Amino acid sequence: PICPNGAVNCQISTSDLFERAVQLSHYIHSLSSQIFNEFDEQYAQGRGFIMKSINTCHTSSLNTPEDKEQAQQIHHDDLLNLVLRVLRSWNDPLGHLVSEVQDIKEAPGTILWKAVEIEEQTKQLLEGMENIVQRIHPGELGNEVYSLWSGPPAVPMADENTRLFAFYNLLHCLRRDSHKIDNYLKVLKCSLMQGISC
Amino acid sequence: DGQYPPGKPNITKCRSPDKETFSCWWQPGSDGGLPTNYSLLYTTERKTTVSECPDYKTSGPNSCFFDKSHTSIWTSYIITVNATNAMGSNISDTEIFDVFHIVELHPPTNVSLAIIDDPPHLLVKWSPPPSVDVKSGWVTIEYEVQLKLEKGQKWETLKAGTHTQLKVFGFHPGENYVVQVRCKPDHGFWSLWSSESYIQIPDRFWRKDM
Repeated sequence: PICPNGAVNCQISTSDLFERAVQLSHYIHSLSSQIFNEFDEQYAQGRGFIMKSINTCHTSSLNTPEDKEQAQQIHHDDLLNLVLRVLRSWNDPLGHLVSEVQDIKEAPGTILWKAVEIEEQTKQLLEGMENIVQRIHPGELGNEVYSLWSGPPAVPMADENTRLFAFYNLLHCLRRDSHKIDNYLKVLKCSLMQGISC
Repeated sequence: DGQYPPGKPNITKCRSPDKETFSCWWQPGSDGGLPTNYSLLYTTERKTTVSECPDYKTSGPNSCFFDKSHTSIWTSYIITVNATNAMGSNISDTEIFDVFHIVELHPPTNVSLAIIDDPPHLLVKWSPPPSVDVKSGWVTIEYEVQLKLEKGQKWETLKAGTHTQLKVFGFHPGENYVVQVRCKPDHGFWSLWSSESYIQIPDRFWRKDM
């Protein structure tokens, strides 16, 4: 819960909410990097997955800023909404990730724990961001249903290489998108929140 | 006659010092006893064509510099280096990366040390590396300070978070100390340490006060 000690309608300042969102986005990206590296070391060595994972992220159709200039030119409302859209687009894939990781042969507990933690913290971050957008623009919270993700590959269970690549690709895209969200939120925090020293 | 195609070049490193531009460096292979030309070729997941390095000069010999207009942060770059001479050519292994994943800043600058009397401590101050945009939040930098007795071997490392100064207590009066600072982006590689700064702790600081 965003409110401390489970209180329901506590009035946290928007800049505190933002500070928490940035701490969460930082944490989620760190976990995403760790889980990617762990999976890569354990399951992807020598399989050439990195070449196959080029231009395959389900969120690549979302027109997100690709460098500092674009990130600073876009209106902060649009950037906030993009963050929400990217977060929502990860709802289904993270659910799949958590359920599937348990079926990976000898998946170390640390990979499973991180997948569960990322799913949980991403939900928290989405909740916090929706709270922030509500405050900044009451009533403007779009709730388009997102399923950019085309779902797990329809493949016979026997084809391990394809299943492992599907996993690798999800983790590769998660690492990238979680960094994007973290970076955008840090830029937004500096531009939106007065009194915060950047 | 001792002339043969060039050896295989090796891409040794790709780094971004500011999360806005980046460079790659390579190690040439053997030149086969002939004048050998090197070209860096790249594409990205958003391009359908292969392009050549936009700038072979800015980052020094055997390098390619990608300025802001050639740099996208969350896009896969696919890079190879090609060596060619009169007898043939050879191509490096392929490097694939996103720029957000190769950020390594230059060391902090303007490291200054000051003795503060009350309460007695050493104040270490520094500036972020040049040309890194911290103000807008584009880059978030974390710092570490290390110090040791000038005559000693063992460094002590202190985390300074995102601050650009650190108060350090617990010195031996009358001793000389060496101090260095380094930094890293929130997600990326540690920089090199700054050059060494030296200070002598005044005798007036009795141990019990420190």
